[in-house]
Amino acid sequence: MDTRVVKKKLGLKERYAAMTRGLHWDTTYQPMDKVFPYDKYEGIKIHDWDKWEDPFRLTMDAYWKYQAEKEKKLYAVIEAFAQSHGELGVTDARYINALKLFIQGVTPLEYYAHRGFAHAGRQFTGAGARVAAQMQAVDELRHFQTETHAISHYNKYYNGMHNANHWFDNVWYLSVPKSFFEDAYSGGPFEFLTAVSFSFEYVLTNLLFVPFMSGAAHNGDLSTVTFGFSAQSDESRHMTLGIECIKFMLEQDPGNVPIVQRWMDKWFWRGYRLLTLVAMMQDYMLPKRVMSWKEAWEMYAESNGGALFADLARYGIRKPKGWDDACEGKDHISHQAWATFYQYGHAAAFHTWIPSKDELDWLSSKYPDTFQRHYRARLEHWGEQAEGKEGRWYNQILPMLCQVCQVPTLFTEPGDATEIALRETTYHGMKYHFCSDHCKEIFEHEPKKYVQAWIPVHQIYQGSCYPDEINPASPGDSPVREVIRYYGINGGEDNGEFSSSEDRQHFRQWSGRMKPQGHGE
Amino acid sequence: MQATGKDLMVSIGEYPLHQQDGENLFHGKRLIYLCWENHLMFAAPLCVPLPPTLPFGALIRDVLPELYGEHPEFEDIDWKRTQWFNSDTRFIPDVGKSLEHHGLAHKSLIRFRTPALEGSRASAGEGKQAF
Repeated sequence: MDTRVVKKKLGLKERYAAMTRGLHWDTTYQPMDKVFPYDKYEGIKIHDWDKWEDPFRLTMDAYWKYQAEKEKKLYAVIEAFAQSHGELGVTDARYINALKLFIQGVTPLEYYAHRGFAHAGRQFTGAGARVAAQMQAVDELRHFQTETHAISHYNKYYNGMHNANHWFDNVWYLSVPKSFFEDAYSGGPFEFLTAVSFSFEYVLTNLLFVPFMSGAAHNGDLSTVTFGFSAQSDESRHMTLGIECIKFMLEQDPGNVPIVQRWMDKWFWRGYRLLTLVAMMQDYMLPKRVMSWKEAWEMYAESNGGALFADLARYGIRKPKGWDDACEGKDHISHQAWATFYQYGHAAAFHTWIPSKDELDWLSSKYPDTFQRHYRARLEHWGEQAEGKEGRWYNQILPMLCQVCQVPTLFTEPGDATEIALRETTYHGMKYHFCSDHCKEIFEHEPKKYVQAWIPVHQIYQGSCYPDEINPASPGDSPVREVIRYYGINGGEDNGEFSSSEDRQHFRQWSGRMKPQGHGE
Repeated sequence: MQATGKDLMVSIGEYPLHQQDGENLFHGKRLIYLCWENHLMFAAPLCVPLPPTLPFGALIRDVLPELYGEHPEFEDIDWKRTQWFNSDTRFIPDVGKSLEHHGLAHKSLIRFRTPALEGSRASAGEGKQAF
């Protein structure tokens, strides 16, 4: 007769230990350093992995249960949104362009983050760090899926979303987010966490998500708001992982401090450059505005970030090198970026427009030192051109791009908004050009990495982005048109002027808002 | 100008040098960047593939109007007074001689200033500056 053995149920803490670090063992057939080669070569010294404090105590089974609940709610909302024709409830069809930028440029980053964390989740020697990274890898994959599902509803009704994956791999402005993440996940696991978990998620994430999610809330886009809420609890875990990883590295060995500082310098700047696209979205693409980019920068970067770096000073960490230049840029970058997308609006996959008079006044009031003085006349000139017999102007000549951030070199000199900032260096007999001192320094620290960059403008001229039948040595009288065709962008439908777009016309027709009111509805 | 920063590259194994964008990939042309200083109607300097044999005069006569002709100040440019720079180094062009002759190698940046035409440094009234 067998006696049933009553297994003692594990307490929460024991259960957690068993399901995370309890799954780890030290290898004996092969040396540990050979099994985990990636967490040494970056130069970060870890003496005691047991000092790693798990940033969140969640086991995989609890994680599944918890995420499944959220998923159920999210898909119920998306379903209801579709049933009630939520795509017509937004403030104005111009708003949809912010979503296009999101599905084109942000959603693919979730997938890249998934891959990066899956890699880090394999490569750390410490089990605590591995588990945290693995869980985040699953989160990121889920975000990619839920964002795709939420936005796919809009894709049924509006242009500019149907080919986002192909665009991400080819289109010039999307190489900005793409190259950011490829740079991050081709680094070692410690640099990856500094780049993504710390610099991006901890320092800069509010500047990405608040504009998009509050923008969605202000503009009647419930499905995006719900996705945002669904992701938010994950994001707070991700931020905690970022700060934990930084503190862990800094506490483990004083030799880690200069390495971490250099990564912070680099990834703060790379993240900041990437946010140029968000700054533009926030100031120009939301029909109902939340706050200006400048205000968001002051609140989330200058105030919160300032406090963070004051806290890290005890480890010998200072603010990132590009900090002051980034703070000066808050007055400029959104306007410089919109002017760029406006003139290359035939080569992007969303619509652009000249803001209405009220909107120009709003910009003048939010940017009293710069908008009126430096940026308003240019927009008004283009507006008059577009209304007049000349028609809207598009710049037919491709711009110079920065070798590191891959943004067109559109930024002006610190202290002089009338002059484009340009930097260059020569490496192995070839010239390389940059938008700033900081991108130049990033290049000079790892030149072999950045000389491989796939610079879209250069690739176009090499002939990598034409349809097969086009001879790259003589692409005809409109090379840009051929490139757009290769990209799979429908010229005039997916891009160009908003006021004459199908999106605008459909939105007005379907929502019964036929009364024209200038550019807005 | 040589790289001045310290190369801190580390890698897990061999990391061969692979430079993209060699001049041989551009179908007999080379990339030249152009920047009309202070003329910010053009959001960024422009990038064009040009034959190295192109005479400087043809650059002024045939190429620049296509690039910058849309600007209201373009037709007023006095080319004789224009100041030319190969990146930061001033040079006096010889209109009959080629880009190559002027030392404008692949991926060179030509910056030019038009002293009388100030673009974004000129006033457009109402506290606004031009572009």
